[in-house]
Amino acid sequence: MDPLVKALLDGDQIQAIAEARKLHDMGVEHERIVTEGIEVAMEQLDTKCTVERFNLLEIMLAGRAVMGVIKELYPPGVPSLHTKGTVVIASPEGDVHDLGKNVLKMVLTAKAYHVVDCGKDCPIERLIGAAEREGALAVAVSGLMTSLIHQVRQIKDKMTKRGLGHIKVMAGGAALKQASAESLNVDFVAQTAFDGARYLDQIAGGVK
Amino acid sequence: MNSLERIKAAVNFQPPDRVPVIAQVFGHAATLAGVALGEYVRNGKLLARCQIQALKHYDYDAVFALMDTNVETEAAGSVLTYRADQYPSVRTYALSDGADLDGISIPDPHQAGRMPELLEAARILRQEVGDDVLVVGCVLGPMTLATQLLGIEAALYLAIDEPERFSRLLDFATEIAIQFGISQIEAGAHLPIVFNPSASPAIIPYQFFREIELPRLRKVFAAFKQAGAAANWLHIAGPAGPILPLYPQAGVDIANIDYEVEPLDAQRAIPRICLDGNIKPFAFVEATPDVIADESSRLIHLFADRGGFIMSSGCEIPPESKPENIAAMVAAARHRR
Repeated sequence: MDPLVKALLDGDQIQAIAEARKLHDMGVEHERIVTEGIEVAMEQLDTKCTVERFNLLEIMLAGRAVMGVIKELYPPGVPSLHTKGTVVIASPEGDVHDLGKNVLKMVLTAKAYHVVDCGKDCPIERLIGAAEREGALAVAVSGLMTSLIHQVRQIKDKMTKRGLGHIKVMAGGAALKQASAESLNVDFVAQTAFDGARYLDQIAGGVK
Repeated sequence: MNSLERIKAAVNFQPPDRVPVIAQVFGHAATLAGVALGEYVRNGKLLARCQIQALKHYDYDAVFALMDTNVETEAAGSVLTYRADQYPSVRTYALSDGADLDGISIPDPHQAGRMPELLEAARILRQEVGDDVLVVGCVLGPMTLATQLLGIEAALYLAIDEPERFSRLLDFATEIAIQFGISQIEAGAHLPIVFNPSASPAIIPYQFFREIELPRLRKVFAAFKQAGAAANWLHIAGPAGPILPLYPQAGVDIANIDYEVEPLDAQRAIPRICLDGNIKPFAFVEATPDVIADESSRLIHLFADRGGFIMSSGCEIPPESKPENIAAMVAAARHRR
């Protein structure tokens, strides 16, 4: 499993896919490749990428390699891997930047969450509708603009009114991370994608 | 001292009559004037009028001929979406869908896209304030423009997958920055700020910055100095601490520090470079004037012995900020609270 972990950490997609194929050919269960390969690599990356040393390029390369391996193991039509829960993500209406959201998607997918991506410029109602339909564990919004804050503040209350108060709300991104959870009326403000994943791990039931 | 003299004194570590204060008021000038942001960024005359109104309202030390981060990429062929109350965004990147760099040329600042409007804004602002107040233009740094020409994800992957092609893209971006910046100086800007958020250590590793971006920034700043820039001002948002020690090699005279950089760390990293910053931008939206005044006073105190400081926000003051918060920062600098 070590060569796969190394290839993922190096952000070498081609090598990572080759290593995953090798493991598959040796008869290693796909679930084991995920838990002992991908998740181990993500944990190491998490440790390395503290808030002070968070580096998007490195995360994106590792994320691309992870997504390549996941596609290799679970191509369309093949039952997907077990998940820790469903997270619905979006950049709120008015924000057409989606890099932060895409990074979160990569990190959460690699950590075995089922991610439903509502895209950028997404109205709150669509986000909430998806959360209800998918039976989500949490919704996460990423925003680069402080003008979005007014919208973000409404998510929790609107969900509660629809009987979805149990679904956690998380916010992040360059603008939103400057605010407190209290001021945004959300359950958690993530400083990085990994910070967000750690929070979700806690609410998913103590899964590491 | 007038504003320009005050800023020059701070840059040269000579004692100014008071701490200079530059509020990074861009789109907020439109909000203050009751003008739609989508109009403000497309009309040089209107932009200049709003900037002058904001200057009269707040009485700080600089005005900005600055629209948004999409001026260069639009001029090079990207298609933007404009909205009434927001900055425009890129709908189609100039180099998306595998478009080749050979297929596009360096945009002419006097003809391409909104570049002439920005030059017009710089010309009017200089005419209005002369050499009393600093007139700041704006270009994107090479790394940031590369990400705006291609989209940030595609650009970062290109950097790794096809380094030679990426290098050519950065050289192209460097040339745009130089030509656009020099045109701004010729039009009347005292200096073009180099806005470079994609070069932040939050985006690219230290080594990437040192090896790939730094030599190009050096080239840009050398060209600006030769063209008569009053100073070289580099603006890299986010946790820029690790790369600050490289700034002297780039020829930086003023270094912006965001709220994520500890001012004392920045002082130690670049003891002889003027710093500007670093109040959290969101505080201008959410906090109270007392909070802003206290934070401003704390910063002024931190730099009292060292000098080389311009009171400012860590990044753009959001358009929807409360005017009384901006006024509180200016008042703190003016009255040395």
